[in-house]
Amino acid sequence: MSCITVQDRAVAINPTRSCAPIGTMLANYGVHGAITINHGSQGCATYPRHQMSRHFREPVEVATTSLTEKTTVYGGKSNLLAALKNVWERFHPTMIVVCSTCLSETIGDDVPGIIDEFVERHPEVTVPILSVKTPSYIGNHTTGFDNFLKEIAANLPDRRKKKGETNGKINMIPGWVNPGDIRELKHMLREMGLHGLWLTDYSETLDGGYYEPRPPFPRGGTTIEELRSSSKSLATIALQRYVGGEAARIYERRYNVPAHVLTMPIGLVNTDAFIDTLVEITDHTIPEALQVERARLLDALVDTHMYTTGLRVALYGDPDLLEGLVGLVAEMGMTPAYILTAADTAPWAERMLELTGELGVESEIILKGDLHELHKRIKAHPVDLLIGHSKGKFIADAENIPLVRVGFPVEDRFGYHRRAIVGYNGSIALVDEITNQVFERRASAIVSNTLLERGVEGPSQVPIPLRNGKVVV
Amino acid sequence: MKFKCNETLPERAIHIALKGPDGGCQRGDGSGCFVASNTATTPGDMTERGCTYAGCRGVVGGPVKDVIQLTHGPIGCAFFSWGYRPHLADSDFHMKYTFVSDMNETNIVFGGEKKLLQCIIEANREFPEARGVFIYNTCSTALIGDDGRDVAKQAEELIGKPVVFFECEGFRGVSQSMGHHVGNETIFRHLVGSVEPEGDFSRSINIIGDYNIKNDLRTFEYLFEALGIKILTRFTGNVSVEDLKIMHKAALNVVHCQRSATYIAEMMRDKYGTPYIDVTLWGIKHMSQALRDTAAFFGLEAEAEEVIAREVAAIQPRIEYYRQRLSGKTVFIYQGGPRAWHWIELLRELGMETMTAATTFGHDDDYQKIFRQLKEGALVVDNPNVPEIEEILHERRPDLFISGNKERYLAYKLGVPFVNGHTYDTGPYAGFVGMVNFARDIDKALHAPIWQTLRQRARPAPPEHHSPHGFEEVV
Repeated sequence: MSCITVQDRAVAINPTRSCAPIGTMLANYGVHGAITINHGSQGCATYPRHQMSRHFREPVEVATTSLTEKTTVYGGKSNLLAALKNVWERFHPTMIVVCSTCLSETIGDDVPGIIDEFVERHPEVTVPILSVKTPSYIGNHTTGFDNFLKEIAANLPDRRKKKGETNGKINMIPGWVNPGDIRELKHMLREMGLHGLWLTDYSETLDGGYYEPRPPFPRGGTTIEELRSSSKSLATIALQRYVGGEAARIYERRYNVPAHVLTMPIGLVNTDAFIDTLVEITDHTIPEALQVERARLLDALVDTHMYTTGLRVALYGDPDLLEGLVGLVAEMGMTPAYILTAADTAPWAERMLELTGELGVESEIILKGDLHELHKRIKAHPVDLLIGHSKGKFIADAENIPLVRVGFPVEDRFGYHRRAIVGYNGSIALVDEITNQVFERRASAIVSNTLLERGVEGPSQVPIPLRNGKVVV
Repeated sequence: MKFKCNETLPERAIHIALKGPDGGCQRGDGSGCFVASNTATTPGDMTERGCTYAGCRGVVGGPVKDVIQLTHGPIGCAFFSWGYRPHLADSDFHMKYTFVSDMNETNIVFGGEKKLLQCIIEANREFPEARGVFIYNTCSTALIGDDGRDVAKQAEELIGKPVVFFECEGFRGVSQSMGHHVGNETIFRHLVGSVEPEGDFSRSINIIGDYNIKNDLRTFEYLFEALGIKILTRFTGNVSVEDLKIMHKAALNVVHCQRSATYIAEMMRDKYGTPYIDVTLWGIKHMSQALRDTAAFFGLEAEAEEVIAREVAAIQPRIEYYRQRLSGKTVFIYQGGPRAWHWIELLRELGMETMTAATTFGHDDDYQKIFRQLKEGALVVDNPNVPEIEEILHERRPDLFISGNKERYLAYKLGVPFVNGHTYDTGPYAGFVGMVNFARDIDKALHAPIWQTLRQRARPAPPEHHSPHGFEEVV
């Protein structure tokens, strides 16, 4: 039986999460030609840019209103008006998104009001200007992404929809994923003979190519026209509950676009649920290519089970990613000993409790957790594998445990943003990666202590010959 | 010099100048005045500047190796400033751990002082081996009026270790430069001189303004030691709290980064009478001069010449090799502050000429030093923004761009060779031996075969697949 723990410590030591504005910046990168203005101190734009550059290895541009002492005392209105004007005149973007910060929220700037005033003063600006509330003291980085999607869903879609009018597309909200994931999902939809309308699509804007000359805006991204027509889609599929789930429901309530909020499609069961939903919406049959991919995932799970069954793993990161990962981890026969998130969402924890129960694994589900807490648990009861973003490397190094890098940020390796972990293909890649990480460790002859101590049936009880002729049992 | 991208931003003209044929300053607005610097950024101009918190937590306070680095504020500030700048030390506690009071909405409404105190106590309980606590204030906690100083004082009594509170809210000042100032002042006020050690410090110096990026210290510490000079405290690369407490005992302050750390040297001069000298620890000429100046203070001129001759002879053949490969190349340097002028001479020693120099937060004295060293026709830009950088790379086509990680991928997208001057590609770059690393990295960047491939084989972007009405036709 799994249990839920809420970390009870005032100080956060090595947090697993960052703050809301970066979510809006990332999501807005998926709209072609859109620019984000961060209304706050310069660091609130520069730090996330730096972080995104290190993850995606791409130039990332975000404007800031550069608030200083003076503007903090008198309000940031003049700076925001100037920033809107400068960004418009210099770049002529297709959309401007203003995200707030702790600073602008605490001094109480009325961002929507300032935007209205700007639009009144500048009738020549015809592109949408949205305001997203992203103070860092509420929620985490996924909150900024989610709030952005809610603003898009509430403000952009065309309300003049004739009865039965449709664009024949499916609104796809992948949530906080990597460009590689979006490309894999596109592949799946294409194979199903479907067209996705992506909310939003940064698969190319944040994983672009080298072209001469450099295009003025990065290639790719969802267009404003597409976003406008999203009210006429056949359905909305949100693949993360806390990033886009609410936006999907807005589509359902306001525009009568049925919402399907699913678990992130990692692993066989979760991906099947996604494909089944597509079938249900469209009546299309599952194409040969996807059937083959599905069988290949099953084959990979069979091939690797002797190396992964019985391993204890620690998972940490965003709630939606964890929910998807638990599925695959359990399918591989591993026990997600610790499932740690920084969020404080009781419904999620209860669902995870139920899910782990159904999967027959015993986990400790830790809410409001940080990586120091995880490290302490691992020191007391070791695990064989860590799955999460780059910041877990300090635990991995200290305890000599392999780290499978997924999520955001992965800043100490190249190309992880190009890899997919969703769908059948993504899951296969992740199964391979996990298994190889286990091998990697054994190749250097450091046998999992936890396996030996706990006497779990598994490959590490087999004597391993070392290069120097000795044998480790 | 007019930038196309600045047509709608006339206020940027005063930050841009060319060096004229008579050595005069041809500023963008035609006034003949000198480049304007250290002024507020134009809102929405896509600046590269950071905030005061970044300057204090990231640059000055962050490298202190044995303290709990606690951010008083929301999670993001602590997450983004955690472990990205390789200010190494002989231990890695400061790189591996970040602490944050994790202010949530309730704390913002009801105040965070109690929580801060609890955080300090808990952090100290988790890491009793830490020798102190540095608390960095952020925008939100400053606005709600938390009295962090008072909390720090209470905590100091409770845990019996120095607890230092930095008032480095992000909105203070116009750039991260303010954060350096806050960092210097706070460390000076709280720590320097709080212990009076016994011993003879007549032959000891402090290295001020080196942050041990990728172990820079290893490239020049041994040179000073070879002269018989002891390095008492490094401000703040590879430094412990105990070192900071006794740094006032040094006979001389040797100031390397003259933007972020002259403050503390001046404060020590005024309070303790410790003289300071300005040095540059990059490049053959500058490094030699630094050793000569330091040695002259102690009357060790002969020893210095001996060390310089030995070291220069050791690297000369390799520098000569690279000089031949790099001669005649032009460079665009864009650094935080002083590195732009530190490296003009170094690059000349490698046969390269800086034709554009820019800084994020340089002050007037930095630009004077840059301008003095540049050749005619060179361009100076203060606080350049992304479109300006892109235009410089595109229009002036430097052979090499030296800047930081954020700008790296912009340079790459435009096919311009790049070396990371902020955190180094494969550093360290300081001292004599570091210069060989620098030259090697420049050589790698310039002569990588990929540039040839790009020139010969890159193609224009294919047309976007979007149909005029915004979405693909459904078949």
